[in-house]
Amino acid sequence: MSELSAQHSINRRGFLTGTGLAALGLALPGALAACGSSGGAGTPSGSAGGGSPSTGAGSTGGGSAGGGSVSTPVSTSEGGTGGGAGTPSGTVTLWMDIQGDANQKYFNDNVINAFHTAVPDVTVKVTYYKGQDLRQQIQTALQAKSGPDIVRGPAATQTIAWSNAGVLADLSGYATTYGWADKLDPWAVQAFTQSGKIFALPLRLDTMLVYYNKTLFDSKGWKTPTSRSELEALCADAAGAGILPMGGSNVDWKAASEWYMSIFFNEVAGPEAVYQALTGEIKFSDAAFVDSASLLQSYVEKGWFAGGANDYFSVPAAEVSARLGQGKTAMLPQGEWFMSQMGTYFGSAANNNNEWDWMPCWSLGDKAQYPTYPIGIGGSLAINQASTNKDAAAAFLNWYFTDRKAALQRMADVDATYNIPIPIKDGDLPSSIDPRAGRLITESNKAIDAGNYGYVTWTWWPPKSDVWVYQGFDQVLTKKITPKEYCQKLADTFDAEKSDGTIPQIIKRTSS
Amino acid sequence: MSGSIVVADRDHAPPGPARAPGARATRWRRGLVGWAFLTPLLAVNLLVVLGPSLATVYYSLTDWSGLGPATFVGLANYRKAFGDPDVREALWHNIIWLVLFLLVPTALGLLGAYLLGRVRKLQMVFRAIYFIPYITASVVNAAVWKMLLSPTSGVAYQLGQLGVPGVGDISFLGDPNLALYSVNFVVDWHFWGFTAVIYFAAMQGVDHDLYDAAEVDGAGSWQQFRAVTLPGIRPTLVFMWLMSIIWTLKAFDYIYIITGGGPGGASDVMATLMYRKAFSEYEAGYAASLGISMTILTALVLVGYQVLRRRGWET
Repeated sequence: MSELSAQHSINRRGFLTGTGLAALGLALPGALAACGSSGGAGTPSGSAGGGSPSTGAGSTGGGSAGGGSVSTPVSTSEGGTGGGAGTPSGTVTLWMDIQGDANQKYFNDNVINAFHTAVPDVTVKVTYYKGQDLRQQIQTALQAKSGPDIVRGPAATQTIAWSNAGVLADLSGYATTYGWADKLDPWAVQAFTQSGKIFALPLRLDTMLVYYNKTLFDSKGWKTPTSRSELEALCADAAGAGILPMGGSNVDWKAASEWYMSIFFNEVAGPEAVYQALTGEIKFSDAAFVDSASLLQSYVEKGWFAGGANDYFSVPAAEVSARLGQGKTAMLPQGEWFMSQMGTYFGSAANNNNEWDWMPCWSLGDKAQYPTYPIGIGGSLAINQASTNKDAAAAFLNWYFTDRKAALQRMADVDATYNIPIPIKDGDLPSSIDPRAGRLITESNKAIDAGNYGYVTWTWWPPKSDVWVYQGFDQVLTKKITPKEYCQKLADTFDAEKSDGTIPQIIKRTSS
Repeated sequence: MSGSIVVADRDHAPPGPARAPGARATRWRRGLVGWAFLTPLLAVNLLVVLGPSLATVYYSLTDWSGLGPATFVGLANYRKAFGDPDVREALWHNIIWLVLFLLVPTALGLLGAYLLGRVRKLQMVFRAIYFIPYITASVVNAAVWKMLLSPTSGVAYQLGQLGVPGVGDISFLGDPNLALYSVNFVVDWHFWGFTAVIYFAAMQGVDHDLYDAAEVDGAGSWQQFRAVTLPGIRPTLVFMWLMSIIWTLKAFDYIYIITGGGPGGASDVMATLMYRKAFSEYEAGYAASLGISMTILTALVLVGYQVLRRRGWET
């Protein structure tokens, strides 16, 4: 009864009051959101100040952490909110995929804060996401004409898809203004150039390496293999001693198979054949590529690689790496980016006295000379087409890629993590760099100059072909399809995509 | 006082005197108040459910990468889905998943609930222990089980090291023949405690006199369970089955985290396939058509449930 009474007790005034409060409740979030955006807290619109009076002259030069000089344009060719005139200022946002407190602190201190010191008029607000989630989050946001001003994008082929959709700004004007062509490796910028439009800048020079337990090699008297025969002899020797010759796993990164196929395509079929296939001169269904997939499959089946297919699909990556550190695994083919984690599995941090080192990938056929470094670009930085403060975003990109001293210091501080593709000569790197990380930079640069490079799939293959490279190979390992069927579908997928124009400008063979 | 009393008063009230002239206005005001309270929720649902749903229907009829403009292609995506072996395989995995998910958590839940009913001491402790996996984040559960099922350091490996024959080299997540069942086992483990607590609550509502009567008639425990408990909790059982079917059709998180649908698609279900098509292969239009197809399947299940319910199957 009391409940009924309560219902009846709602009079017109009460109802109107309640309705008014409800309406206010509905309107308030929108109003707050509007205030938030106009206040510029984390969104570019209100804080853009595009075209604000040039007060930032003092922001140029001398003030960066690395002490390098950063040029600020008087005007840019790209339109911000104010049409591009004036010194960049205001707040821009950046979403990054850096994990771990220490890594994020390093980025905050040595990138964000260093940039703020160098360019005080521009504030970068960074948000960290888990690596695998970031691309999807950004892609969804870009489609909604939202998201960060500075876009941490994937490798070239994936980023082309974003560019084709018109969600990335044309950086060509900024490139001219800032003179990026002279400061970055041209081939790396070309990979992000389509129809004359630069749609992103190359974030990290990628290559595949083979890490190995140096202590184990020394104790066994093994030499680092350079050819297929040497590799197979070592594998037989190691397997006979109860040691896994080559570690590998796709448990924590489902696309890991493309790392291995990048090695085997380039080191078996050879970089020339890969180049010809990527430019349409030959097909990926050619026998050379089938042989590449077959060889890796045979190593897995012999238990030389990953300990067999079942282990490849089920042993976590941390365990694979730990076994390398413990000397239960001899070698670990991985990307250069993994170098920063090697210390976790060796020495006092891992309660062992072992040392690690790296070697170039082995030459597995007469079509690949030793050493051949499969190279590519690991990710990109671009500017959101929907950003209302493109000038400030460009100022950040400019500082990140052209403050040479700061960039080299980052390369020295964190192994193989901040290796932006810039021309580097012997003696350029700070002496504090780990010799193994320093050797990686100098050797890979020399290889590029000498033409001893191949092509990693995540940079030079179009998106669907790239996905098939690893998903299809997983099916080869589970015997769902044969290597021949795998390569045939790769060829078909590639042909279809080639006509869509989603293939980046490929770094040419120096001999061609 | 519960809301049902209000309904009862209204339904069973004797015919009163002729309605006062203001009765219609009062009813109108009451209705308006109800709608006023419902409006915010409806507005939110229209915004976050109906809007994207209609967009998904549209995109399912287009060739769309997930970014930029979409090209209308009619029913081409649906035709492609019918002939796609990956879709057939994923759907078949959904069916296997459904059967397992209907049987295992239900059986374990009923057993757990029945045993809980027999426990007098520490009953709350057991209920809490049963429930813990359900309230633990799926990411955490999945990470723990990935380690437990590792062929080189997991439980089976350790048992093998202790001399237990035949288990030391089992690769639960790496063997294509075991991967789907292994992930399903983890999900069943995660879920059965929840069903146990729900069934236990339902069992508390069964009239105890029925058990006394059954006991007087000489019924044993199993007969009591079959003839008294199961009919007594039938509405709950049917509801849980319905929910299980719906949850099965959208199974995603554990599979995505533990195997990613692998190895080689061996544990792919429709949701993981859709995700991959949309976000890895830039076939968002095609993924939308798969999503709509799954929605239609779910709707058919709900229609079937309603038909059965109206026929009194539930009670």
